[in-house]
Amino acid sequence: MDSPRIDDFEDMFDNAPCGYVTLLPNGRIARVNRTLIGWTGHTADQMIGKPFSGFLNMAGRIYYETHIAPLLRMQGFFDGFAIDMVTAAGEHLQMIASATDGRDAGGKTLFTRVALIKAVDRRLYERGLLEARDTAAMGLARERENSELREQFIAVLGHDLRNPLASISAGARILGRDATTEKQHQILAMLETTVMRMAGLIDNVLDFARGRLGGGIVLERSAGKPLEPMLHQVIDELRLSSPGRQIETVYAIDAPVNCDRSRIGQLVSNLVGNALSHGATNEPVRVHAVTEDGLFKLSVANGGEPIPEAAMEKLFEPFFRAEVRASRQGLGLGLHIASQIAKAHEGSLNVTSTAEETRFTFVMPLR
Amino acid sequence: MVFAHGFGCDQNMWRFVEPAFAGDFKTVLFDHVGAGGSDLTAYDKSKYATLAGYAEDVVEIGRELGLTDAVFVGHSVSSMIGALAVQKAPGMFGKLVMVGPSARYIDDDNYVGGFSEQQIEELLQFLDSNHMGWSAQMAPAIMGNPDRPELGEELTNSFCRTDPEIAKAFARVTFKSDNRADLAKIDTPTLILQCSEDIIASKEVGEFVHRGIPGSELIILEATGHCPNLSAPDEVISAMRTFV
Repeated sequence: MDSPRIDDFEDMFDNAPCGYVTLLPNGRIARVNRTLIGWTGHTADQMIGKPFSGFLNMAGRIYYETHIAPLLRMQGFFDGFAIDMVTAAGEHLQMIASATDGRDAGGKTLFTRVALIKAVDRRLYERGLLEARDTAAMGLARERENSELREQFIAVLGHDLRNPLASISAGARILGRDATTEKQHQILAMLETTVMRMAGLIDNVLDFARGRLGGGIVLERSAGKPLEPMLHQVIDELRLSSPGRQIETVYAIDAPVNCDRSRIGQLVSNLVGNALSHGATNEPVRVHAVTEDGLFKLSVANGGEPIPEAAMEKLFEPFFRAEVRASRQGLGLGLHIASQIAKAHEGSLNVTSTAEETRFTFVMPLR
Repeated sequence: MVFAHGFGCDQNMWRFVEPAFAGDFKTVLFDHVGAGGSDLTAYDKSKYATLAGYAEDVVEIGRELGLTDAVFVGHSVSSMIGALAVQKAPGMFGKLVMVGPSARYIDDDNYVGGFSEQQIEELLQFLDSNHMGWSAQMAPAIMGNPDRPELGEELTNSFCRTDPEIAKAFARVTFKSDNRADLAKIDTPTLILQCSEDIIASKEVGEFVHRGIPGSELIILEATGHCPNLSAPDEVISAMRTFV
C-alpha cells in the first residue's frame, strides 16, 4: 500500500478528518468521501443517487426540509447546525455540519457541499446541559410557588391570630375592674404581658411575611408629632412585663424626627426585649435616645456574656436564635425586623459586644 | 393575494414567488407570531395552542386590509391555517392555494400521515439542539428593537430565526394537528400543489387532501422536497397563474 502524500487532493477529500457529501440540487447524493462511509457503515453504492435526508433520523429529515434546505436556497450557506445520521446498524450518529451552495453566475444552485464532524460527546454534553437547565427551571418555579404559598399562609395566619388576642386582652381588662385579691391582679398583669408579647411576635411575623412577599416595610412618617411619648409607652409596657428588671432611659430629643413613630416603637420594643432576654438579669438595660448632628441616635445596652464572634454575622438574619432560656424563646425575627425598620428609614442598626456591655445602635437622618 | 409561510422560516419563503404576482395583485406578506420580524410579546400560549389561533390572525389581517375575494396562498401548515380562515370569514378569500399541505402528519388507523407520535416527540427534542440565529445574548437586541428590523436582518440565518420556545410550540401545533374533518367544509375553489417527492407531505397525503376538498384541483409538481416555492419557483408560479 502506498503511503499518503501531502499534496494528494483526492486523498485529502477521501480521508479527511470530517465527512464530505456533495448533493445535487434535488438533494440527492452525488459524492461521498471514505471517512463518512466508514462512520456510517453504508457503502458508496448505497448512498450515491439517494436523497441525503434519507440517511438522517426522522427529526433530522424534518429539520432538513423545513430549515436547512430553505436556508441554503435563501442564504447559500448554513454553518454549524446539529444533525443526526443513521448508520447501517441503525444507530444514531450525532454530528455538527456546515453546508455551502455552489452556484452558477446566474445564482442557480449547481450543488451543495456538506462537511460533517462527528460530535457525539459534544452533543451529549449539550443535551445534558439543556436537561439540567430545564430541571433547574422547573425546580425553581416549583420552589417559588411553594415559598409564596408558605409566606401567604404566614401572613393570613398572623392576621387571624390578632383577633382572638384582642378579645383576650379586652376580656382581661373587663375582669380587671372587678379584681379584688392580689393574686387576681397578678394573674391579670401576667395575661396583659403575655398578650403584649404575643402581639409583638405577630407584628414581627406579619412584617417578615410582607417583606418576603415583596411589599417591604411601609412607613407612615410624621415629623410633626413628638417621638418621646411613644418611647415612654413602649418602655412602660416592657417594665410591666418584666418585673424585677431595671430599664434606665435617657432622652435628649430636641429636634423633630421624620420617622414612622409606631415603627420606631416596634424597633425599640424588639431591641429592649432582646436585651432583657439575653442580658445579665442583675444589671440594668440602658436606653439612650438623642438628636445630634442631623441624626437621631438610639442605643440599647445591656451587660452579661458578650455575643459570640460566630453569632455576630448572623444576628440580623431571620429566624436566628441564640441559646436562651426556653421561656423567653421567640421566633428569631425581632432583630431582623428591627434592622429592616432601620433600613426603611435609610438608617442603620449596628452592634458592638464586649465583656463590659452589648450595645445595639440605631442611627437615622432627621431630615 | 396573501402569502403565509409554514413551520421553519418566515415570509422570505415567498421571495421567489411573490414578485411574480406583485404586478397583477396587491400582495400581502406576513410573519406568523414568533417568526421573523413579528412582535414576540404578542405570543399567547393558549391562543396559539391550536391552528385556529393562527387562522384568527389571518382573518384579522384580512379585516384590517378590507380584503374580499382575495387569494390565500399557504405553504405547508399554513395551507390548513388558510382552510380554517376561509371558513371563519366567508367572502374574504375567493381562492385557496395550498403548497405541500397535509391534513394530519401522524399516522392513524387506515390513514398514513408519514410520522409516528414518537418521531414528532424526537423532533421537538431535536429542535433544542439547533437554536439558529438565536441565543440568550441576542434575544434582547432582537426583542428590544421591533421598530428596527434591520438589526435582525444582519444576523446570520435570520430568515429562519424564531424564538426557540415558540418554535417548539409551533412545531407541536403543526405536527399534532388533525384537520381531516375540516376539508369537506371548504367551499372555496382550491388548488393543491404537491411535490413528487416530499417526506413531510407525500403525494398520497396530497391526494387525501384533494379527495377531501370538494371540487379541488391537484397538481403534482416535478419539484422534490418540501419547499417548491424556493427550489422550483417557476413551476409553482405557472401552476398558480393558470388557477388564479
